[in-house]
Amino acid sequence: MNALIGNLSLAIAVLAAAGALFTSVAAAKFGNDKMLTLARWLHYVLGLAIVAGSWALLSALINSDFQNAYVASYTERALPMGYKVAAFWAGQEGSLMLWTLLLAGMAAVAAHGFRNRERTEQAAMLGVLALVCGFFAALMLFAANPFVQLPAQAVDGHGLNPLLQDPYMIAHPPLLFVGYAGYTIPWAMLLAALIAGRKDNQWIGATRSWLMVSWLFLTVGIILGAKWAYIELGWGGYWAWDPVENASLLPWLTGTALLHSVMVQQHRGMFKVWNAALISCTFLLCIFGTYLTRSGVVQSVHSFGESVIGTFFLVFLGVCVLLSIVVVVARRRLIKSEDTIAGMLTREGAFLALNVLLVLMTLATLVGTIFPLISGVVMPQPVTVGAEFYNKVVIPLALALIAVMSVGPLLSYGQGAGRQLIRGLIVPGIAAIVAVIAAMVFGMTNPWALACTAITAVAVCSVGVGLTRTVRQRRKIEDERWLTAAMCVIDANHRRYGGQFVHMGVVMLMVGVAGSSLFGTKHTFQLAPGASADFNGYTITFGELKQSRKVNYTSVEAHVTLTPPDAGPGDAGQKLHPEMRFYDKSEQPSAQVALNSSLKQDSYVTLAGWENDGQLVAIQVIINPLVAWIWVGGIVMSLGAVFCLMPKLIKATAVAHDPTKSPKHNPHAHAPGTIPLALAGEGQCASQTQTTSTELYAEASK
Amino acid sequence: MTHVRIKMLIAGMVLIASVGYLAVAGVKSGWVYYLHVDDFVQDTAYQDRRVRLFGLVDQENVDVAPAMLTAKFDLHGESNRVSVHYQGVVPDTFKPGGEVMVEGKLDEAGVFQADTLMTKCASKYQSEEHAKRLEASQ
Repeated sequence: MNALIGNLSLAIAVLAAAGALFTSVAAAKFGNDKMLTLARWLHYVLGLAIVAGSWALLSALINSDFQNAYVASYTERALPMGYKVAAFWAGQEGSLMLWTLLLAGMAAVAAHGFRNRERTEQAAMLGVLALVCGFFAALMLFAANPFVQLPAQAVDGHGLNPLLQDPYMIAHPPLLFVGYAGYTIPWAMLLAALIAGRKDNQWIGATRSWLMVSWLFLTVGIILGAKWAYIELGWGGYWAWDPVENASLLPWLTGTALLHSVMVQQHRGMFKVWNAALISCTFLLCIFGTYLTRSGVVQSVHSFGESVIGTFFLVFLGVCVLLSIVVVVARRRLIKSEDTIAGMLTREGAFLALNVLLVLMTLATLVGTIFPLISGVVMPQPVTVGAEFYNKVVIPLALALIAVMSVGPLLSYGQGAGRQLIRGLIVPGIAAIVAVIAAMVFGMTNPWALACTAITAVAVCSVGVGLTRTVRQRRKIEDERWLTAAMCVIDANHRRYGGQFVHMGVVMLMVGVAGSSLFGTKHTFQLAPGASADFNGYTITFGELKQSRKVNYTSVEAHVTLTPPDAGPGDAGQKLHPEMRFYDKSEQPSAQVALNSSLKQDSYVTLAGWENDGQLVAIQVIINPLVAWIWVGGIVMSLGAVFCLMPKLIKATAVAHDPTKSPKHNPHAHAPGTIPLALAGEGQCASQTQTTSTELYAEASK
Repeated sequence: MTHVRIKMLIAGMVLIASVGYLAVAGVKSGWVYYLHVDDFVQDTAYQDRRVRLFGLVDQENVDVAPAMLTAKFDLHGESNRVSVHYQGVVPDTFKPGGEVMVEGKLDEAGVFQADTLMTKCASKYQSEEHAKRLEASQ
């Protein structure tokens, strides 16, 4: 039954997509509005069909329908319900289904949001979305079908890979897919605006919410993936520059550039070529990454096996690249810059530097990832470049980028920005010098660590200086207390201060990465029960090995006590229980890390193995300073992005304080119930807010 | 050309030159040949340098001492084999008959001394089990 519903839904989805593509082309060609309406309704049908198909798969998973090959391969009867649901995206077919579901849903929302647009633009948008949705639906129907039936019902399923039985792993892939699917919409909007010949910059404002939402989900997805690798894989790291990780980083890098770059087009009419290229590349990199990781062309520890869907993705990628190039080249007159950059020390100059740095990081990561492919052509044997390559190339670029970012709050557009920057840098500059000297007094000599210290000081102080400037300016006009004025200033420009909040998260992330990669240490010990060993002032004591039985696995646990150097005489130390799990449905054991985490440092203990029933165990201890700041930074970055997307918060209070300002007269107030994601009008509102802040700046500089 | 453009051009060239330099340095230090056991044994040119080898773990003569943090095994391909001494934490997923990747260098005795051992873990997106089932259903 599920298989029938599933296959039928996929078939309807393919037909609806083909129909939407056909009708939207016809609508544009013959100027027919009925065709256009039909195309839009076909998008809704497509969305509903994919929802029905996903429901069929979910129902098969929940009800353990082992006639279904996918269900039999990725679940078992004893699997907890949460993991049965998560098995939806544990395999190739299901993960594509999830991607398609998100894509079709977003396409329907975007199609609805575009319903009042000009005919050609709307038709082009619907056509492009139908192309992408149609590809995914057809891919599932013909090459990666999640509804393949077995000749006979299996007695029990094969079970879910133990590595995936983790809460972080449940959340990580869907979040990435939201990002991947989300980046399709701005691409469709770009092509639509160019095909329709739009000369204005209004449309780019409408992409911003999509770009922000996609970026938010991609960021959270990547950070959760890193956290998962950290606590699950047991090597003490969170990022290995593996092709699969790089595949998610590539669109994130160009997507980050985009968030800044679109602002310049929106407000200044510049960077149009950049934006067209970045929007296209971000979408194309999502597809390319998927091709890379699922075709088996690049050797990765993840090992995907060579599958036919790689070829499908490659062909689709080719079509999308060609489409982007043809449209952008044919409409090159529309993307001429309306203004020139006034100087290097201006906001537009900084955004240009940011674009260049992020694109160079993307290129370096891309080259490193496909180096075995490139070298395989020129050399007799393929060559890989390890983490060394990325650390030497990408990390310095990232530091340069964060340095540019740290002075961001002090930069304004156009002439006179340079003088203002230099004046604003006095306090952050002094703070940086003091911080570096203090760090050296405390014995820090590593130049990278000192650079990070200086950047952190500048970044934090710049935000303070920038905010103080604007608040002071406001208090000249309004009779308010400092705190009230600061809150009003922040609330008046969510994008700006949300962005700066994100920047603070980036600084925390940098601190975490620098601390753990520069000062982390690794030790391995062989201990008999009751024995202890010393290292770096720590003492590790091994108690005993304990075996116990859990729902679907057997656990062997080592009882370890770790006493830190600063422990007092009565301090019992940290009790840690690294574990080895033997899942019933898995041939291999799976190690569970014992972790004692604080903002200062993590003690990361794994049970590497044992002999003679636990008379001798091997235990690995990794001391990772500051690593928790990566996760804190990730949370701060996400909260900042959420704040950017939120509507204005304190309009009610403002009205209460000032009876002359009714909501009607307040141009910045969102209508009640306005969702930030709503497409029409969003750009205008944001641009007005931005103008206000620019005006304030202009006054502040006088 | 305006003053600003010249400045930007110079800055851009300096940036690209330094990134180019970093990239060359990065490639040089990260440069590792990626070879199959068969190619490694046949072609002596790679036997005196650090390489990354991949192949299958032989079913016999596998000596893993997890508590001693060592694993000794033969890595074989279609026609050739090489014995490997690995020092370090043995991954959970290591098993005789499995596909692994080791990084290290051949010593005078003809034993490959490895300090990195990675297994091709059960695939995240396409399990072997699932591939078998799909074949069976056709």
